[in-house]
Amino acid sequence: MAQIVLKDVVKKFGAHVAVKGVNLQVRDSEFLIMVGPSGCGKTTTLNMISGLERPTSGEIAIGGRVVNDLEPGERGLGMVFQDLALFPHLTVYENIAFGLRVKKVAEREVDSRVRAAAEAMHISPLLAKRPAQCSGGESQRVALARTIVTNPAVFLMDEPLSSLDAKLRVDMRTELKRLHARLKATFVYVTHDQAEAMTMADRIVVMSGGVVEQVGEPLEIYRKPASQFVAGFFGTPTMNFLSGKIESANGGLVFQASNLRQRLAASLPSGLAGRNVVLGVRSEHVTVGANGGTPGKVQLIEPLGAESLVFFEFGGATPLVAKIDPERSLDTGDNLTFDFDPAGCHLFDADTGARLN
Amino acid sequence: MSEARIAVPESAPAGGSSRRRLRDWLAQERVFRLIPFVLVEVVFLFVIIIPFLLMVYISFLKWRANRPFEQAFLSGFGNYEQVLTAPGFWSALGHTFYFAGCAVVLELVIGFVLAMFVSRTVRARGLYITIFLVPMMIVPVVVGYNFTMLYIDSGPINQLLAPFLEPLGIDPRIRWLSDPAAAQWAVILADVWQWTSLTFLIFLSGFSALPKQLINAARVMGATAWQIFWRVELPLLKPAIVIAVVIRSMEALKIFDPVVLLTAGGPGTSTQTIAFYLWEQVWVFNKFSFGAAASILLLIIFATLIFFGIYLLVRQSAAVAQQRAP
Repeated sequence: MAQIVLKDVVKKFGAHVAVKGVNLQVRDSEFLIMVGPSGCGKTTTLNMISGLERPTSGEIAIGGRVVNDLEPGERGLGMVFQDLALFPHLTVYENIAFGLRVKKVAEREVDSRVRAAAEAMHISPLLAKRPAQCSGGESQRVALARTIVTNPAVFLMDEPLSSLDAKLRVDMRTELKRLHARLKATFVYVTHDQAEAMTMADRIVVMSGGVVEQVGEPLEIYRKPASQFVAGFFGTPTMNFLSGKIESANGGLVFQASNLRQRLAASLPSGLAGRNVVLGVRSEHVTVGANGGTPGKVQLIEPLGAESLVFFEFGGATPLVAKIDPERSLDTGDNLTFDFDPAGCHLFDADTGARLN
Repeated sequence: MSEARIAVPESAPAGGSSRRRLRDWLAQERVFRLIPFVLVEVVFLFVIIIPFLLMVYISFLKWRANRPFEQAFLSGFGNYEQVLTAPGFWSALGHTFYFAGCAVVLELVIGFVLAMFVSRTVRARGLYITIFLVPMMIVPVVVGYNFTMLYIDSGPINQLLAPFLEPLGIDPRIRWLSDPAAAQWAVILADVWQWTSLTFLIFLSGFSALPKQLINAARVMGATAWQIFWRVELPLLKPAIVIAVVIRSMEALKIFDPVVLLTAGGPGTSTQTIAFYLWEQVWVFNKFSFGAAASILLLIIFATLIFFGIYLLVRQSAAVAQQRAP
């Protein structure tokens, strides 16, 4: 059992509060990814779980045991660091064996476990090499082998794929998911890459400014972001945002911006009428060429292969972006009409950014 | 095109023409970029090559500086034979290695320990660093004077040692500058006091450069403070250790100031180092040709040691570069 519970955890560095009262439950065998921009407090939270940082206040429990006063080595964790932190003066074998040797495991057992871990990570031919002689992907596997060899119940990973090139990063994501499925251990993973979070996580924790903005499954976060920040952080291209006001019209609600009027889903509570809001709509929920839609003018087209992104202006503060069929004949400067799918419209409070619908 | 530009007009006066030709020639890219090297070579020639060749020449002569140079005559390897058979030379060389060995070991150990503690200190770190660097900045003459005061029979060192030595039945009035064995240690300790600052500085930069993530990784894996030091920090500090050993050994083999200032080589010849011995032979006894031969022999001995040190340094640097390669 390796459930992790954080209760009102605060971390201050002098006057700066890096983590502002985080409450979080990581389930046993869960792959939880903490995501957010630089300085949001995700690595500090991870370091507090690992014991490398002590919380200023609050409680951290692993497997039902409060670990606030335990040293990192006493918490039964494995950790993969951003720069992998392989010991340059040791061979791959000695790197993997390090955690066992410091715990004075018998040398025969060390050998069998090191070889088993190397086998599992497909790095057996590298055992005699030094880390500097390994490629980025190989080093990644060595770091993972070094972590799995001690059979920890909890794996902590601090942006471990950030140093890899794009293709290798995608390959390693699959590898990590497989590893998680095989080990059935609890994984807590930190990244600033929303694609990594979406593709690997059982649940995602979105952090901003030292607080948890939202905890949820990847699709839930994508489809129902709890705040404008979360909505803007997830999704490529970034969600379209428009400032305006909600008004009542024909028994329903409409969103009214300076030069755009958009009907909203019938299910919205009528009490929202009169509020200043930010309307968010993802590019796939923007219909281009709609009859009776708002007119706009194509600024730029980005063909992506399976789809194209069309950026167009309509007189608003910023251009909008829509996903269209790449076969569609549109060119820069063309006029178009557009409309939003009411089911894909997200409403956020103009002041707080909190979700309203 | 460049030829056309530097062509000299026929009407130009002859003197001006050659000056301009020289100036144009020097201004050419292939010539201009060599000028700094030529200057360096000239300085090298006058400062090193010519004096060295002169020394080699003098080492084959029979000549004392208090006699006219015209009376000097070639004596082949006579001076070398004299040096190699002079008991003073070997005794001074022995003292030099003894002093350098003891001083460098102490400087390395103390410098390392101080750097380790200071690197782990958060408060008043800058103050500690400044204090520990002060000895290196003091003029050797002042160090010698201070230590002469400290070493007198009723001086503060003996006063401090008395409570420890008296219960053991040892006379606490150690004659630091007049007892042969104690005088040797008096020289060593003065050198250690002044030059531990340098090893401290080298090790402090080594500790500061240790990657924190490696230490964190070891902590998460359950390594104790001692295991982290022994298995992670110390191996990664190897380049700093080699640099400190090589630099301090090279310097310590030339130990001269504390000998002159504290003991003048005495009592007897018990603290004569090779640098002091040579100085005495040349400048007190005017044995220039003897000194030249001894210098050549020392050059051979020390160069061998220094090249070995540099070889270690280069090998270490290559190993570090390989370890840190992406």
